[in-house]
Amino acid sequence: MPNLQLKDIFKEFPGVIANDNVSLTVEKGEIHALLGENGAGKTTLMNILYGIYTKDVGTIIWKDEEVSFKSPRDAIESGIGMVHQHFMLVPTLSVAQNITLGIKDKGYPFNNRKKVVKDITELSKKYGLQVDPTQLISKLSVGARQRVEILKSLYRNAELLILDEPTAVLTPQETDNFFEILKKLKKEGHSVIIITHRIPEVIKITDKVTILKDGKNVATVKTSETNENELSNYMIGRSLKTFSSREEVIESEDNGLVLEHVGLNKKLKTLTDISFQVKKGEIFGIAGVDGNGQKELAEVIAGIRKPDSGTILIAGKNMNRASFKTRKKAGLAYITDDRHHEGLVLDMNVTENMILKDYDQEPFSKKSIINYNVVREKTEQRIKDYDIKTPGVKTPIRLLSGGNQQKVIIARELAVGPSVVLACQPTRGLDIGATEFVRQILINKRNEGLSILLISADLEEIVSICDRIAVIFEGRIVGIVKNGADLDLNKIGLMMAGHIGETVNS
Amino acid sequence: MAEAGTVLYYIVTLFAASIRMAVPLTLAGLGESFSERSGVLNIGLEGIMLSGAFFSFMAAYITQSIIVGVIFGCFGGLLISMIHAYMSFKCYVDQVIVGIALNFFSLGLTSFLFMAYFGRTTTVPQCPVVKPIRIPLLSDIPIVGDVLFNQDIFVYFMIFACFVSYIILYKTVWGTNIDAIGEHPKAADTVGLNVKKTRYITAIINGCLGGLGGAYLTLALLGFFMENITSGKGFIALVVVILGRRHPFGVLFAALLVGAAEALQYRLQTLGSGLPSQVFIMLPYVVTVIVLLFSIGKSSDPAALGISYKRSSR
Amino acid sequence: MKYTKELVSTLIIILITFLLAAVLIIVAKYDPGMALQSFFYGIFGSLHGFAEIMVRATPLILAGLGVSVAFSTGFFNIGAEGQLYMGAIAITFVGVFLPPMPPMLHIAVAILAGFLLGGIWAVIPGFLKAKYGVSEIITTIMFNYIAINIVGILVRTVLKNTESALPYSPVMPKSLSFPLLLYPTRLHGGLILALACAVLIYIIMKKTTIGYELRVVGFNKRAGTCSGISVYKNIVLASLISGGLAGLAGVSEIAGVHHRLLEGISPGYGYIAIIVALMGRNHPVGVIISAIGLSALQVGANSMQRQAGIPTSITSVLMGVIVLLALGKNIMFSGILKKMRIK
Repeated sequence: MPNLQLKDIFKEFPGVIANDNVSLTVEKGEIHALLGENGAGKTTLMNILYGIYTKDVGTIIWKDEEVSFKSPRDAIESGIGMVHQHFMLVPTLSVAQNITLGIKDKGYPFNNRKKVVKDITELSKKYGLQVDPTQLISKLSVGARQRVEILKSLYRNAELLILDEPTAVLTPQETDNFFEILKKLKKEGHSVIIITHRIPEVIKITDKVTILKDGKNVATVKTSETNENELSNYMIGRSLKTFSSREEVIESEDNGLVLEHVGLNKKLKTLTDISFQVKKGEIFGIAGVDGNGQKELAEVIAGIRKPDSGTILIAGKNMNRASFKTRKKAGLAYITDDRHHEGLVLDMNVTENMILKDYDQEPFSKKSIINYNVVREKTEQRIKDYDIKTPGVKTPIRLLSGGNQQKVIIARELAVGPSVVLACQPTRGLDIGATEFVRQILINKRNEGLSILLISADLEEIVSICDRIAVIFEGRIVGIVKNGADLDLNKIGLMMAGHIGETVNS
Repeated sequence: MAEAGTVLYYIVTLFAASIRMAVPLTLAGLGESFSERSGVLNIGLEGIMLSGAFFSFMAAYITQSIIVGVIFGCFGGLLISMIHAYMSFKCYVDQVIVGIALNFFSLGLTSFLFMAYFGRTTTVPQCPVVKPIRIPLLSDIPIVGDVLFNQDIFVYFMIFACFVSYIILYKTVWGTNIDAIGEHPKAADTVGLNVKKTRYITAIINGCLGGLGGAYLTLALLGFFMENITSGKGFIALVVVILGRRHPFGVLFAALLVGAAEALQYRLQTLGSGLPSQVFIMLPYVVTVIVLLFSIGKSSDPAALGISYKRSSR
Repeated sequence: MKYTKELVSTLIIILITFLLAAVLIIVAKYDPGMALQSFFYGIFGSLHGFAEIMVRATPLILAGLGVSVAFSTGFFNIGAEGQLYMGAIAITFVGVFLPPMPPMLHIAVAILAGFLLGGIWAVIPGFLKAKYGVSEIITTIMFNYIAINIVGILVRTVLKNTESALPYSPVMPKSLSFPLLLYPTRLHGGLILALACAVLIYIIMKKTTIGYELRVVGFNKRAGTCSGISVYKNIVLASLISGGLAGLAGVSEIAGVHHRLLEGISPGYGYIAIIVALMGRNHPVGVIISAIGLSALQVGANSMQRQAGIPTSITSVLMGVIVLLALGKNIMFSGILKKMRIK
């Protein structure tokens, strides 16, 4: 008898069918993968189970009883816990406060810190989940926050744990450690559902896989009876695209972008002594776990933050004191990692967003007067060139899909002929089609001889398209390696955890 | 010797006046602190206080009972804060704009009803005023005792409310829940805390305390009502909240500071310096701006302050 | 279909507002028939009524434009009232202390001075907001109270007319008066100034890079920063324009209506301007329409007061309610609209 059964779940959002008669069963003590690309409906399905959304049609059976959770509280009380991709932790509260948030313990409503700390310590020992209960969440690393999230569910006696993209933010070593924890959970009789789009980890850790595509069930298979290729075919209807190798690269000794001993915020050591060169016709990747200074590095290069020390050269020109606009004129294009807050103005339309970086340049404006006829023509041209799907040029950009929003950004940044491209997490949150589109454009631009700096926490992405790979850890470059067939992923993993590696300059 | 005594007495009475001036600011500030900690910015505090002042006056005037006045003061504040809550949580309207509109609404409603009831009269209608309560023993201390421990019930209630608020916010799970909801409502929601309900509760607290703050103006300080009687006290209370960092005793301290400016203002006016009285009337507002400058860089607003929470948003 | 929904919502708002007014009037035991009659007579009954609406709309358009520029840039300027008084102070100083000048030059100097002083009164909060993140809502409000008291001080000291016991400034020279447009009504040249400003603001906000930057900062400061648009510069600029326009409202009130500085020249124009901007959706044409609408409401209310004795403060109640209904209409009326089968 399965522990959990979802039968024919149907859920429609205005304009989109998120789940179209999806079914799923999970046994006690089973690790079950819910595989699919972004937008396949995995998270929606789990949010329905967890009581965040309500289903339109369908039945949920949990421990032999039909249930319909109206809120997460119902789900938690029935023994279901969920760790969201974006952690649901309150940064200004302590670990213990977060773990016990919403629980009416003995002594309610007064705090009972001593007992709570004792309980948490016991629990963390039992499952090997190391945390300091008195520490503030804001002071913790990403890995530690994940442990807190899992403890939070276990503290509430979760029998079924739903984990949404749990490894997205971990180093390979942290991932291994995380897999150990999963095994312990399984041994203790917990069921686990992992939402993921990463096929290798499905193979490595799960017992069973359910694949979703466009909101529909594609297949459910035993992990032991399948392989990566089959899963990939289920997930996207074809094998994953592999990108062209280095042969097409124009060999060049000229550097498009040079950083020499760049440092930011000496006290906090946000960035320390960063040096590297990005050649023309090269994609230079910066790998590393999120929050190790990538964002700050991008902003220092773009001129949004000013470094304390060091030199930045763009196309051979010293840019230390230059503003973003000067750098842009020198040939820098900046694709930010945060489309909604930094790359676009969601309340403006496609046309207005298309000139966000060039509104004060000819031909878009002369003497401060914007020529909207020219702007519209150029926008229409770019919509064609980059295959942007939008109802019209005056459509609010908010209404476009993530992939098309990103295409607007890329069209805007690349159409003006830059010589250096700074791309920060350019495929984050995109579906596979859009992801491949973006990667292909970066490769095309490299082949045209541009210098491309790709900052990405997705190691797979870095490995698939970069020529050289630098690893950043706590604001330092711990090593630079050449990409190729002989690349040692284990070594990169160690560097991502802070071990010093070698440096290769060509 | 006699002179030193006079100076001391002068300072102590000024301090006592400061305490009284601080009461409406502290009460309203405490309420707003609850609200803001749970993530709701209510700029309509001025309207809450004004409504509280009006309804408490009317009730006390008609029934001649201070207790009824106090109850209606709470009711008046609640009226405004509940509209704010409904507009913010149910209609998802920008909290600041709702607050601005409610200040209009409250100003118009109170002066319309006041004018409609009393017409154009030359005599100012008066309501009963609370009397000081002498605390035995403590009030027998020379000079200080008579001034500090011979205050009205609102003053004692203010101290009491600060202690209770402190315990709720810092010593109970409720306080943790309120903070969690103000900081990360989605996280609070996913562990089963009811974001809307909690925010409605803090809105009720805000309305009651703000209404009481307004009631203090009519039932204790003045004994009458006139159009726009609060004249910006609600906004000053917002500054008190910022300077006091939403901590009950911080709010009390900040309110005492601004209250002192107000007490001083009245003293200076009666001193007869030959300057236009506007010079002194202006003082509390100038002090408020200066006080606000002192809080630069120190405030850490709750992350979700002013943002209404919508669950099923994708 | 979208327009039908808008139209029906607007009609519901008007209906509710009228009902509320009726309830207030009946509860307060006034004569509702008389109220209704005098309300409409005040607005439509005479040329004088029309002129009066335009006279009151003039400062509302100017200050409303100012508030709309600030709101578009994400600067919550609640201080138009104080900025208006600062503009009034500026023109009075020009009239009292500067030597006589040819009329056109004189009025131009006064307009410039009013714009600058009003602007400065808003730039201080603007600077504090942009540089230190100090809440402009509070500073601008405090500045209102301070400005009003400054007027009180000035008309009793340096600007006092020594020939009178009342706290008034001397009467301005003729060269500092706007021409009358429709004798014998009070309609004056300030209206033309206001309409010209509306055109200018429309062009700046919709057609120039200056307006583009302001709007980007208003919608998304972070995106502005990441595109090389200075948030600091634009907030200060927006506060200057905003306060300047409100200052012009003060200039216009002195040059067109009062011809000397005294206390209480504004019956809350600066506050009503906030509602003008909100109802006009920060668009110059919308600002003009809503300024005229709210002005008509006030003129009608004044007429109600004269003939039926109803306090004019009823307009504040109604304005507050109109804003609330307009903002919340999509959700509040969704049930009604569904029943009427309007999507």
